[in-house]
Order: sequence, then structure tokens, then C-alpha cells
Amino acid sequence: MKYFDLLRMSASNLLRRKLRTALTVLGVIIGTASIVVMVSLGLGLRKSSLAQIEEYGGLTTINVNNYSWYNSDSTGDEEPKRIDDAVVAEMAQIPHVEVASPLLDVSVIAKQGAYEGWFRIQGMNQEALQKMDIDIAEGELPPADGNLQLFYGNQVITNFYNARTNEYYWETMEVPDVDLMNEPVFLIFDTDAYYQAGSTDGNGQTILPPKKYIIPTCGMMAGDLETYKENCNSVFADIDALKAMLKKVFKNKVIPGQPATKSGKPYKELYYEEVYIRVDSMDHVKEVQQAIQDMGFNANSNAEWMEQTQSQMGMIQMVLGGIGAVSLFVAAIGIANTMMMSIYERTKEIGIIKVLGCDLGNIRSMFLLEAGFIGFFGGMAGLILSEIISAVINSVVGKASGGYYEQLSYIPLWLILVSLVFAVLVGMVAGFFPALRAMKLSPLAAIRNE
Amino acid sequence: MGEMREPVIQVKNLYKVFRVGNERVRALNGVDMTIYKGEFCAIVGTSGSGKSTMLNMLAGLEKPTKGEVIIAGQHLEKMSENQLVKFRREKVGFIFQSFNLLGTMNAIENVALPLTFRGVNKKVREEKAVKMLKLVGLPKHMKHRPNEMSGGQQQRVGVARALVLDPEIIFADEPTGNLDSNTSAEVLKLMRKVVQEQNQTMVMVTHDNHLAGFADRIFHIIDGKIVKVENRSEYKEEEE
Repeated sequence: MKYFDLLRMSASNLLRRKLRTALTVLGVIIGTASIVVMVSLGLGLRKSSLAQIEEYGGLTTINVNNYSWYNSDSTGDEEPKRIDDAVVAEMAQIPHVEVASPLLDVSVIAKQGAYEGWFRIQGMNQEALQKMDIDIAEGELPPADGNLQLFYGNQVITNFYNARTNEYYWETMEVPDVDLMNEPVFLIFDTDAYYQAGSTDGNGQTILPPKKYIIPTCGMMAGDLETYKENCNSVFADIDALKAMLKKVFKNKVIPGQPATKSGKPYKELYYEEVYIRVDSMDHVKEVQQAIQDMGFNANSNAEWMEQTQSQMGMIQMVLGGIGAVSLFVAAIGIANTMMMSIYERTKEIGIIKVLGCDLGNIRSMFLLEAGFIGFFGGMAGLILSEIISAVINSVVGKASGGYYEQLSYIPLWLILVSLVFAVLVGMVAGFFPALRAMKLSPLAAIRNE
Repeated sequence: MGEMREPVIQVKNLYKVFRVGNERVRALNGVDMTIYKGEFCAIVGTSGSGKSTMLNMLAGLEKPTKGEVIIAGQHLEKMSENQLVKFRREKVGFIFQSFNLLGTMNAIENVALPLTFRGVNKKVREEKAVKMLKLVGLPKHMKHRPNEMSGGQQQRVGVARALVLDPEIIFADEPTGNLDSNTSAEVLKLMRKVVQEQNQTMVMVTHDNHLAGFADRIFHIIDGKIVKVENRSEYKEEEE
């Protein structure tokens, strides 16, 4: 029998009993819609909580440091494990690590006009800068040409205050009149000297005010002052350029934050306090974090938070999906019932086509197709219904929560495909035993019922 | 006259035993028969004589308890259900007492149904169906559904459906049981004509002695045994 003829016969059998078919399909519609909507709620919740975590420092980043106070078991006189380029290179070798960059952290005072600001410059290597997914509003990321240039986060401006009136942004809510991009910014690296200027040191010498440097700006992050996101408050620089600058500024003195030898002299090399690490996927964060901790450093990430959220969301999703599944199960029973009824009604017809030589497999396929059709159309209509419900939920909840949940109900493409396939499968499974029964019906019994 | 022809149906020592409660009923009790190509045979008997069981055996709708049924060189008693369905699809046409047309299909579709099972193209099978419907004298009822036709017309559609496959054998189970006597004679004449024209073999089961008279040879069956085989000429004489 040709496949098309099979399809046609199944379809016409369904159309013969429009009302019953429609009612059975309605069951599947409700079942599919309830599963899809429930799962979409779970997915939406998960999505918005992941987005929240991302705002707080990324899902795949690990922050490594060697702050000894963090280690409760280390004694004070023990030399802390220092982070140098070799250590960073070693970390880059850990499987799944995508980016490993030293983080050289320097506190500076910036001045422009009447305004003064205090912030930290974070020196990172080029690879890390490129891969941090920074949205650039203007200019470019810090270039690697050896000259120190700064890249400002969109909220850095709020760190400036008016040095004459001593008014801070968060007091007045007036945006400081600072143009980081176009006006020159003066930076003071030796902050100790800046505050102590004018007083005398231990040797009775007056401390001179430190030198100011004009450091050009290479770019700004996208977003306005209200936009909170990862790194919006950071200032980035190329690490090599920053190192060169520090050496130039401090010459033979110990750079603040850097360790010194027992005689008070600086080491030849600069040590880092932190390492920025990015992992290829959030499933591997935990594992990499453990590897770094085994090396003897502190490693922090959002992995635990995320794991907790994930498992919570997984549970919510299971509960929601389970509720939905019950109604689809009821719909499956409906399909099985409809198919059984249909076989009882058509006993004679099945007998006739058997006597006329219809292949047993064809008879089975015909009934399976009928059940599959019910599942398919129910699934399709159920999906349309769930899209509508989802849109309604989103608009209602979106307004009520003031935009916190922009998408409480989220239906991704895979959910659409999976639920459609699932609905067809449920139909076919429900129709399987009725179909077998039809196939095994004796042709004699079928034609004898006068 | 039969000696020169090739046998199409051979039945050897056929038994069919039913269990009814604790009793065993022998519906067929050692039947032997041979039917040749191009013959129109009738199996006549009263109800309960085993004639319907006989037909079911020949068409492969029931399995024999013992014995052999060889049709067109194939042993039916050894076939699985799937093979039997295939055998019917390829070799057998069937005419029922209650017509057994599918109520949702029109005449053309009903006639074309066996071809559908064979996987014939829609265009080809409908052409054939139209041809068959013309042959049985229903050129004006092509698009009619069974419930829009009289009994005689329905049975003509049934005949057309049995013949459309161009089968080697046609089985008819009381084909005129639901028709009045005039229509019965018409339908039987039609069957005879078509079978003769196409040189097909036909086996008809009936309880009506008069209708059996249309056949070339008549097998009388009583209590599961063939008691008498007559040629038409002998039969006619007897009747008169």
C-alpha cells in the first residue's frame, strides 16, 4: 500500500467522526499546553536568575587571589604564595580554561578640572581584554602598543567629586562635569605622597607633591550611569603598559601593594594579587576552581550560587513539568479510548479489508497514524495555545513586577520541537495497543456479524 | 471434459474440527476435491453442512485441522497469516453475501480498494475501476455511495471489486442471499458471463439448489463430506 493512500485513509477515518476526533484532540491540546506553559515558566525563572548572576560577575569567571588573611590555616610568618607570570601560565594550562590573565591592581587619583576621583586601574593582558565581552560605546579596548591608555566603565564617572565643594555624586545626584573621553585626565599614582604632601617624613624631609601624568583614554563602555552590569565600575589597561608606567613612576622605590625584601627593596619582578580566569562553559567552573585551590590559591566564582540556583530551578521545573505531564497522560488515555471505540465500531470494516488482502502491517500503520494525527494536531494547537498563554503571562507579570521578570514564561525553539514530537509519540504509544488489536482481529469474526 | 485442464484448486483429505464445550464438531470430515481452471463450481448444502467452512479454508480465512489445500500450486495450510493476506491480495477475489462495501467510499473507490492494497497508483486504479463498473453495468453510479444504491447495484459493485484484481480464483459466499430472485438471476448471469469472458475460476457457496444450477459443476456437501458431484447437464435433468 502506498504511504500516501495510508495517510489518506487514516485522515478520512478521523474526519468521519469529527466530534469525537475534536474532543480527543482537545484533550491533547490541553495536555500539551499545560506541559509547555509549565516548563516555559521554569525556563523563564531559570533564565532570569542566571541573568541576575551574570550581572554580579559572570557565570564562567573565576577570581583567583593570594590574600593570606583568607587562609585561616596559614600562619602569619609564612611567606604567602605569590602570583607571578609563571603561575598564571600554569593556570592557563588547566583544562577548560579559556583565558587566564594576571590582574594588576593599582589605586590612583584622577583629576579633571575641579573634580577629583579615586579608582583602581586593572591591568590585564590583551587576550583577557578581548574576551571579556565588553560593549564598547566609543573608542577601542586598551591597545598593546606599550603606551598606557585607559578604558573606562560606564559608571566610573560617579567616583568623581567636586574637590572645591566636597560634593559627591551620590549626595547631589548631579552628574560630575567630567569628560573622560575628550578632556585630558590627570592621574596620580603615588597616592601616599599626594595625601602626605607638605608634611615631613621620618628623616625630617618635606614630602613633595607627586607628579601628575596625563593618561589618554582609549575608550568607554556602553551604557549610561543607570546601567548596572559586570565591570561597569572598572578601569582597564593593558598590563604591560601599566607595568612600564609603574616602573617609570616609582623608579627604585617599592610600588604600593607590592611585596618588598627584608631590607625594604623592591623585587625585580612585579607580583600580582589576583588572576582573572575564564572557563569555556559554566559546567566546568567548579572543576577548574578546585584545581586552582589545589595549587594553593583562593579561587572564587559564582559556581556555588549558580549550582544552587540551577538545582532549585531544576526542581521547580520538574514539579511544574510533572503537573503538566499529568494532563497529557489523561489525554493519552483519551486517545487510547477513542482508538478502542473506533476499532469496535469498525470491526467489520477491518475484516473486509483483511479479506480483500490489506497487509497486516498496513492495518497497524493506519491506526497508528490515526493516533499520531490526533497527537500531532493536538500538539500543534496546544503550542499555539501555549504561545498565547505565555504572551499573556509575560505581559501581566512583566507589568506587575516592574520589569524584573521581562520573560517569566520563555518558550525556546527546542521546547516547541520537543513537545510536538512528544505529543505525536504520546498519541502513537496510546494508539499502539489498539492498533495491534485491530491487526490481530480475525477476518472471519469480522465479516460474520450479520 | 476436465481431464485436459490444469487443476487450480486441490483439496486432499481436509478436516476441520471445532470444539463446542466438551464436544468436538467435525465441520469438515475428510474432503477431497479438485477444481480446474475456467470452471464455475458451486458448493451446495444446507446450513451447518460445512459449506461455509469449506469456502473459508479455500480462501485462507481459516486454518484446517488436518489435510492439504493447494491453490495455484501453493500450500495454504503452511502459510502464516501475513502470507495468507498476501495470497488473497494477489490471487483471490471475494464476493460477500452482505456486499460488505465500505460505506464511506463511493463505487469507484470501493472497486479500487483491492488495488490500493496492492500499491497501484490512484490514476491507474481508478481507470480500472471505471472499466469494471461499466462491465457490470453501472456506468451511471460511479460516484454513488453504497447507501444510495439498491441491493442488486451494490452486489454488482461487489462483483466489480472481486474482478478488478484480475484474480485467478473468485470466491462467492451466498452472493445472492440478500437479493430477490429476479435480481439474483441477473447477478448470477453477470458473474457467469464475466467469468467465461475472462476465463477465470469461480467457486460459489449456496444453499439454493436453483441458483447452483448456473454452475458448471455442483458439489453437494452434507455433514462435512462431499456426497455427490454433478455436471450441469445432469443437474438440470434431475431438476426437471
